[in-house]
Amino acid sequence: MRIRRNLAGWMVIALVLVTMPALSAQSGKVTILGTWGGHELAAFEKVLEPFEAATGIDVQFTGTRDLPAVLTTRVAAGNPPDMAALPNPGQMLELAAGGHLVDLSQILDMDQLREDFAPVWLEMGSYDGKLVAIVLSADLKSLVWYNPKEFAARGYQVPTTWDELLALTEQIARDGHTAWSIGLESGAASGWPGTDWIEDIMLRTAGPEVYDQWVNHDIPWTHPAVRRAFEIFGEIARNPRYVYGGTTAVLSTNFGDAVNPLFTDPPRAFLHRQASFITSFITENNPGVVAGEDYDFFPLPAIDPQWGVPALGAADLIGVFRDTPETRALIRYLVTPGAQAIWVSELGKLSANRRVTPNAYPDELTRKMAQTLVEAEVFRFDGSDLMPPAVGSGAFWEGVLMYVGGEDLDTVLEFIEAAADDAYTSGAATD
Amino acid sequence: MEREGASPLVHLVIILTCLVWILPTLGLLVSSVRPAHDVAATGWWTVLRNPFDLTQYTLQNYREVLGAAGMGRAFVNSLIITIPATLLTIGIAAFAAFAFAWFQFPGRDALFLVVVGLLVVPLQMTLIPILRLYSRLGLAGTFVGIWLAHVGYGLPFAIYLLRNFFGSLPADLFESAFIDGASPLTAFFRLALPLSVPALASLGIFQFLWVWNDLLVGLIYLGGSPSVAPLTVRLSTLVGSYGQSWHLLTAAAFVSMAVPMAVFFALQRYFVRGILAGAVKG
Repeated sequence: MRIRRNLAGWMVIALVLVTMPALSAQSGKVTILGTWGGHELAAFEKVLEPFEAATGIDVQFTGTRDLPAVLTTRVAAGNPPDMAALPNPGQMLELAAGGHLVDLSQILDMDQLREDFAPVWLEMGSYDGKLVAIVLSADLKSLVWYNPKEFAARGYQVPTTWDELLALTEQIARDGHTAWSIGLESGAASGWPGTDWIEDIMLRTAGPEVYDQWVNHDIPWTHPAVRRAFEIFGEIARNPRYVYGGTTAVLSTNFGDAVNPLFTDPPRAFLHRQASFITSFITENNPGVVAGEDYDFFPLPAIDPQWGVPALGAADLIGVFRDTPETRALIRYLVTPGAQAIWVSELGKLSANRRVTPNAYPDELTRKMAQTLVEAEVFRFDGSDLMPPAVGSGAFWEGVLMYVGGEDLDTVLEFIEAAADDAYTSGAATD
Repeated sequence: MEREGASPLVHLVIILTCLVWILPTLGLLVSSVRPAHDVAATGWWTVLRNPFDLTQYTLQNYREVLGAAGMGRAFVNSLIITIPATLLTIGIAAFAAFAFAWFQFPGRDALFLVVVGLLVVPLQMTLIPILRLYSRLGLAGTFVGIWLAHVGYGLPFAIYLLRNFFGSLPADLFESAFIDGASPLTAFFRLALPLSVPALASLGIFQFLWVWNDLLVGLIYLGGSPSVAPLTVRLSTLVGSYGQSWHLLTAAAFVSMAVPMAVFFALQRYFVRGILAGAVKG
């Protein structure tokens, strides 16, 4: 019968195909799960090239933008990858608390690490006295991007204080333009660019200690310091004279497109606050622009002089789930200045390793960013990434959208506070 | 039947609905042949101002997608995953549906109810327990594992669809076959299957599309190592972690659509007949 013969044929083919991957995967290999794709993936493969050539270990990287869900599922099912690259320490600490991560202080040369990395970076990857993750690179968030050529042509000065920044904003508005371009849309993650604003302002108006209390929910969301940060953000984001397209555009523009109005001819906006990663959007969407000439940045100025110019940032962390000779070799390689220099030179990210020379950075602009990061008296990690997901990647995002959409600030803050009460298990303000 | 009977109003509504439906796909197609900086600066409809100015189009996005490393292997992987997952689902579902429709056995209706009930279980709920089972059995990261998963997820709907179609076949046909001494297997292969080609074809299209377009199940059970990752997983890594280079996804969408489109057109003459399967008796 024909059907039977086809069936038998299929089974033979199936059997051959099933055994194929098994045959190819017999030598030492390491699987890594992360969020990188596109240029980032290509850069990471460059980092791995010398390692694979030297050791013969095959490193397989899987990138997914839905990393938290996929990783949680695989860990819960007892099938974690060998290593994971996470863009925020919140989930890393959660995994460490669950006992899933290998203590790296037993594997790495800690004396060398302490020499190479400032304490803040090692603390970031530590849990309960164990080192559970290493910092591959950092991103700086407290940056305002502008178009130097347009600034020169119109006689605008780079502001060094918050008053000067507001004066410039007002001056641009009087010239009949809008100063800022803000985009909060990011699919299911819409609102996060606004949380960076609030965090940056909090650091500049309330200082690092209150910031930490806020992140740990030791003060409630209805605290005057939080309220003031939202109000200062609202002065710009909710003012149609100050922001391109008014609140409608703020809410509906994708964060990656929001920098584009700076580079149209004539420009439709002049200032854009975004992390260092935005350079990849600028260069991709506007071919031919030159760093330092067509686009440049200044640090978001101090608001309350008492707190100076703190740096808000993010980091790429790498943790190990399985302690094998292969993962040991790879993690030892990834903390070296050599590996980190390849990574930062490819992507314009910043290295936390002191031995990475400034020459590793692709351009003057990135060197300037690295300098800003090193010189900042205060560094704080993106607070929303540290908060419980229901708040940090839930109610906080939503609250920002509600506020920009015109909702009363009291309502917004009470809404986030209610979510925080549910989500936090500790924190003095948790009811 | 009076085909001309439909009023112009109905035609207008249908045409309008089709236009609204097609518009996003058209936008996607236009975006996929525009350069990255144009996509970033203006909407796709701006080409309509000057649709015949060919300089505003480029195949660069397609070149980048097709030229990306490992794309050929991912394409083969997708076929390796999809074809058996589709054939197995149809095969098992046809046997089960035939039994549900024409065999008398205790608990038949209750069992069928359970199968229908499974239609509403979200597959996300099963990810952790099944992956845990797979890692114990050594099936995680293998094609066998993902075939079983896709077959399992596809079966409730497949059985439901086919049972209703088999149930609508005239009972006399099977009675006379049995009187003539046909075994149930003969009745199945010689009567039920040949009469159900439309239903089988439409089920084939459904299942093929689901498996081909799946990202989540592949990502969880197979992981992303190049030797097994399907096209969807490979394409999703073209985009950066902040969504950089999303313009490549426009071209990727059409690349990934090519095979399901071919399957659809190959089977489409059965499709409309099949989709009515079980909906009308007689």
